[in-house]
Amino acid sequence: MALIYYLILVPMVYAAFAVFVFGTGFRLIKLWLEPKRAPQMPIFPIRRPRLLWALYDTFLLPTVRRHNPFFWFILMLFHLSFLLLIIGHLELIDDYRWIQIIPHELFLGNGLVGLILSVSLLYFLFRRFVSPNRDLSVPEDYYLLILLFLTVLFGSQMDWARRWYDYGNLSVNEYRSYLKSLLYLRPVLSPDLTEPGHSFLLVLHIFFANLLLIFFPFSQLMHGFLSFALNKLRRG
Amino acid sequence: MDPQMRQDLLSLFQSKLDRAMRLYLETCTRCGICTEACHVYASLGQTRYMAAYRHEIVRRIYKKYFKTRGKWCPALGESKELNAGVLDELKEAAYSCTGCRRCMVYCPFGIDTQMLMSIAKLLLIGAHNEPEILTMLADMSVAKGETLELYKESYKTYMKSLETEVLKKWKSEAGRTAIPIDVEGADLLYVALAGAHSIVPAAAVFNAAGENWTLSFFEAVNFGAFVGDPLKTKLILDRIVNEAKRLKVREVCICECGTAFRTMKQSAVSQSFQVSSITEVHARYLQKGHIRLNKKPLNGPITYHDPCQIARNGGVIDEPRIILRQLTDDFREMAPEPRYNWCCGGGGGLVALGEENLDFRMKSSRVKADQIRETGAKILVTACENCHTQLSNLNEHYKLGVEVKFLSSLVADALESF
Repeated sequence: MALIYYLILVPMVYAAFAVFVFGTGFRLIKLWLEPKRAPQMPIFPIRRPRLLWALYDTFLLPTVRRHNPFFWFILMLFHLSFLLLIIGHLELIDDYRWIQIIPHELFLGNGLVGLILSVSLLYFLFRRFVSPNRDLSVPEDYYLLILLFLTVLFGSQMDWARRWYDYGNLSVNEYRSYLKSLLYLRPVLSPDLTEPGHSFLLVLHIFFANLLLIFFPFSQLMHGFLSFALNKLRRG
Repeated sequence: MDPQMRQDLLSLFQSKLDRAMRLYLETCTRCGICTEACHVYASLGQTRYMAAYRHEIVRRIYKKYFKTRGKWCPALGESKELNAGVLDELKEAAYSCTGCRRCMVYCPFGIDTQMLMSIAKLLLIGAHNEPEILTMLADMSVAKGETLELYKESYKTYMKSLETEVLKKWKSEAGRTAIPIDVEGADLLYVALAGAHSIVPAAAVFNAAGENWTLSFFEAVNFGAFVGDPLKTKLILDRIVNEAKRLKVREVCICECGTAFRTMKQSAVSQSFQVSSITEVHARYLQKGHIRLNKKPLNGPITYHDPCQIARNGGVIDEPRIILRQLTDDFREMAPEPRYNWCCGGGGGLVALGEENLDFRMKSSRVKADQIRETGAKILVTACENCHTQLSNLNEHYKLGVEVKFLSSLVADALESF
């Protein structure tokens, strides 16, 4: 078991990051090297500055707000929570003064970030079981959402356990020393991380997160990087 | 399907893959926001007419042959083998799509279904499975251009015979030709459709505005674009471009034909002349005071159908409204925002297919008929030949009780002397 834990918590993390970074980079470079289309075919009327409108489309999803306000609300909650999730993970590596502009405890969001993400992921998943979205969806759509949900759920469990049901077996400091050691390429697994009990959730969280990072460059999650380029095409 | 044929089709597919196309193929999250965007889906409620469903057929072929994960784990993305059955699906998807790009306004990423359908159309051409009539029309158009010398004189004679009609609408100065053809150094080259309705009103307005213009020998309509053949599209376009260069004109004005305007506007980005639609030119004449219109009482309220290729995809949105405000005090907008206007249901070559798909065109455009009815207008104006035909058919089918008119004809009929 210790070996499995080690493999998941150390080599698999490095491998997953390598696949994520190189896979994403490779796909983006490959797309960039494709011949550019001439002429452009925007949608009119064109509003200027086009770049700012493309950013507006990318981050505020006005077309979704107009045509499905409820879905837009959930999408915005999800993406904002996702942003907080990334910031929260940065804080698990080190203290950053700029993040503590609004003083808060670790992990950011009083457990709400994970809760919002989990609920919205369940919504994204279940709406795919209803027609007409069911007719459009393919297996990878479901698997991806399930994988995201599991990653978020086990990650949030660690936060909720400490915060909501006083299970303080693993403290933020242990996560921090683990992540820092990985970052400095001197991996250290403290006994608390691998002991049976609540730490099992950490291992599951890391395992699913690793899978997610591995699948990321080959999945629709790439829309996070490609959305702006597409919106720019529409804006002209 | 034999392997050689499949390989040939995949080469055609590959030829369409540029950066934008790859982005369109690789980004869709199948969120379903585009579901309600398509007039065919909104009218018929069948899944196969959802924009995302249409391009998913192309996307699944792409995954199978151009993506590693489609080769290794085809089940994950339900990638599809290119075979006769898939070609039938592509045909259904491509020739029920009018290329209006309304779905692009809905999509959070702006995925262009029309572009993805252009892959489907090219594969169908490669497999000789495209609608025969469209290829025949494109071939005839190309052939007509190649044998122009044979027709030149008869064309000139025909134009001479139309001059009386033009003079009835607007008396030209003595000695001035009512329909000038092949005039080197003219400022504007007008590219019309075959038929007096596209030439006579336009000529009257040009003459009234004192324009230094000349008529093109070629027809504006691009059947190559309808069938989705890039080579024929270019051949049909190039001869107009070459004529414009030969005559050293400063502006090429395209008649009321959405596809002709859009294809010409896009292809002439780096040319020495500018490309305008006749609606833009008429609006300009009005704004500069070159023509004046008589706001005579028209028979009831007027509404305007924005042709997709001219408005949403061509940018001519304010100009028809400038003209209509000079023609009536009772103009009623059809949609709160022109870019959300429903397609008439006749674009993308569907009208050119004729009676073959009339039933589909009528059923799939129910939402358009409802939209027209809701305006309460008695006169329905548009600026595209395809739209005019389709709207006339809808008028008859749904008993809308409107009079369908070309915008340019209204302008010509309302010309007033200074």
